[in-house]
Amino acid sequence: MNLETATRYRQALDYISSAVGHVDARQRALERFLASGLPTPRLEDWKYTALDALERSPWHAPEHARDALPDSGDTPGTRVAFGNGRLVHTGGQPQREHSLAAHVDDARARQVFDSLAGDAALTQINRALWQDGLWLHVPAGQVAPPVFAVHYASEADAMLHTRNLVVLEAGAQAVLVEHYRGVPDRAYWQNPVTEIVLGEGAHLDHLTLTEEGAAASHTGLAVVRQARHSRYSALSVNIGGRLVRHETRVNLDGPHAECRLDGLFIADTRRHIDQHLHVEHAAPRTTSRQTWRGIAAGRGRGIFDARVVVHAGAQQADAQQSSRNLLLSPHAEIDVKPQLEIHADDVKCGHGATVGQLDEAQVFYLRSRGIDAVTARALLLRAFAEEALGWLKNSGLAGWLEPHLAAALRLQEGERTA
Amino acid sequence: MLEIRNLHVAIGDTPILAGIDLEVKAGEVHAIMGPNGSGKSTLAQVLAGREGYTVTAGSVRYLGQDLLALEPEARARAGVFLAFQYPLEIPGVANVQLLRTALNSVRRARGEPELDAMDFLDAVKAKLALLGMDEGFLYRAVNEGFSGGEKKRNEILQMAVLEPRLAILDETDSGLDIDALKTVAHGVNALKHPQRAVILVTHYQRLLNYIVPDRVHVLAAGRIVRSGDASLALELEDKGYAWLTHDAESQPTPAESRP
Repeated sequence: MNLETATRYRQALDYISSAVGHVDARQRALERFLASGLPTPRLEDWKYTALDALERSPWHAPEHARDALPDSGDTPGTRVAFGNGRLVHTGGQPQREHSLAAHVDDARARQVFDSLAGDAALTQINRALWQDGLWLHVPAGQVAPPVFAVHYASEADAMLHTRNLVVLEAGAQAVLVEHYRGVPDRAYWQNPVTEIVLGEGAHLDHLTLTEEGAAASHTGLAVVRQARHSRYSALSVNIGGRLVRHETRVNLDGPHAECRLDGLFIADTRRHIDQHLHVEHAAPRTTSRQTWRGIAAGRGRGIFDARVVVHAGAQQADAQQSSRNLLLSPHAEIDVKPQLEIHADDVKCGHGATVGQLDEAQVFYLRSRGIDAVTARALLLRAFAEEALGWLKNSGLAGWLEPHLAAALRLQEGERTA
Repeated sequence: MLEIRNLHVAIGDTPILAGIDLEVKAGEVHAIMGPNGSGKSTLAQVLAGREGYTVTAGSVRYLGQDLLALEPEARARAGVFLAFQYPLEIPGVANVQLLRTALNSVRRARGEPELDAMDFLDAVKAKLALLGMDEGFLYRAVNEGFSGGEKKRNEILQMAVLEPRLAILDETDSGLDIDALKTVAHGVNALKHPQRAVILVTHYQRLLNYIVPDRVHVLAAGRIVRSGDASLALELEDKGYAWLTHDAESQPTPAESRP
């Protein structure tokens, strides 16, 4: 990393240091990040995604908090809003209850904060520069009302190192929606790190809608640790941004822990969407399911790289991966890389991956009924996406997501050739 | 309503239609018959706007417009409906969704207000009753897992909902048992109106017992080789196609007449 770039990161820490705690630890993380630099395609996990654009941009810490956010639609639950990386006080009601900055030094948060995030370069820079993010703590046996965390960005050249921490104690249940979005024409960088700890028998439904502005970069990491009999149902919907790379790592740490990591991406225009899943079956009788649907159009590129590792002691693990993809233009690209790594002998594991095209005979059939081509394709794409939206149907969240999906699926005709 | 003049159509370099002339007036029912491979289905598909066919000569005017210049959806909105010989299965799209999206597209084009979910349901239920179809049909994925007869009835349901000016039925009778055939005929007859026309593309005379055509045309090797009234269909039933197609086939076929 050249001196000028390094200086910008140092200046960012200086800029926020009066407002945040643990500056020494942040300083150490910053130096580690500067020593390694941003990941490059030479790393196997980054071979599809070059961060040259991030490397060149004049990033700074966000200067402007935002108090007025655009409407997110009816959010059936508690809405917690973050503008340019900081908590926004909406409607006179401070949402401090869900601010990680306000709670990171609480006894329970201290026990788990930063225990899962790891030491990758992007995590180090998040560790150094995070200002706020969601804190969701559900005590044992309680059922929390749904929480909608909206992360909105509006400042050009701002880097937002959002940090979220979710802790569900034994038997607790929660529904969490994360919605990442921003102003269309501003090049900002959202680099969230989310840690999720599920106690014994805890259930979390987790919808992440990444709908960043068209010029934005998003590099996210979510790390989940699951105790016995816990259940994690995640749906990741990636329909925005210029460059998106998201990684989810789940450790099924106790017997009978179950996770479902489903997702949908739409890489149209020149969008680059790279998603990595990594599931560790570290205990016996653990279950993982991955159902992904991908669409690439225009000059878009989608990557689905999913690895499931079954540890030696994890007998009777059950892991299934399914990735179906549609290429809608000759210039679009999809790379699919499902991998199973099995070290136990009594397991049930399978994966399937396909890349195909939309059936133009079906498009004609719909058009012959008076439905225009854009709507006809949107109907067919919506049907294609349906299987990835499985658990959402009974979650109470489907109605909220639908208009976002409908808008994203109306691909312009030019996206077939561009 | 529909004027087809000297229509020549090819798929790639292979001519399929070699000069079709046909005029259909409002209020009329025309049957187009002919042996397999005579070009009947091509004619139906070309009228609906299917890609992959090249019109090499001729013209088609519909209600005073150049039909061939319109996109498929524009033709449908102008009142052209094709009941497919092989209706497509569309997993994940419910029948009700297709019907409502289609009807509202057509209504918008006609300058009529869109129907909301309740009004739409009332309208479509009346059509279901007309065709003796169960309401459960609406909530199944379009044609997915339907029997052959159900698919054909579903085409007629779409037609009944969209109320086209010109309905083209491409072998809608094939593979139907007698009860299904009567239901389909009932649906078509219910649509008859002095301002509407129907083109029945069929291999057999059977359907014409229930929908009586004003004109019958026999297509062979891409040309209409004989036209007549309903009695022509009975004659064909009696004698087969050979006595008519012999003449057409003894001429150079379009494929052979290529330079």
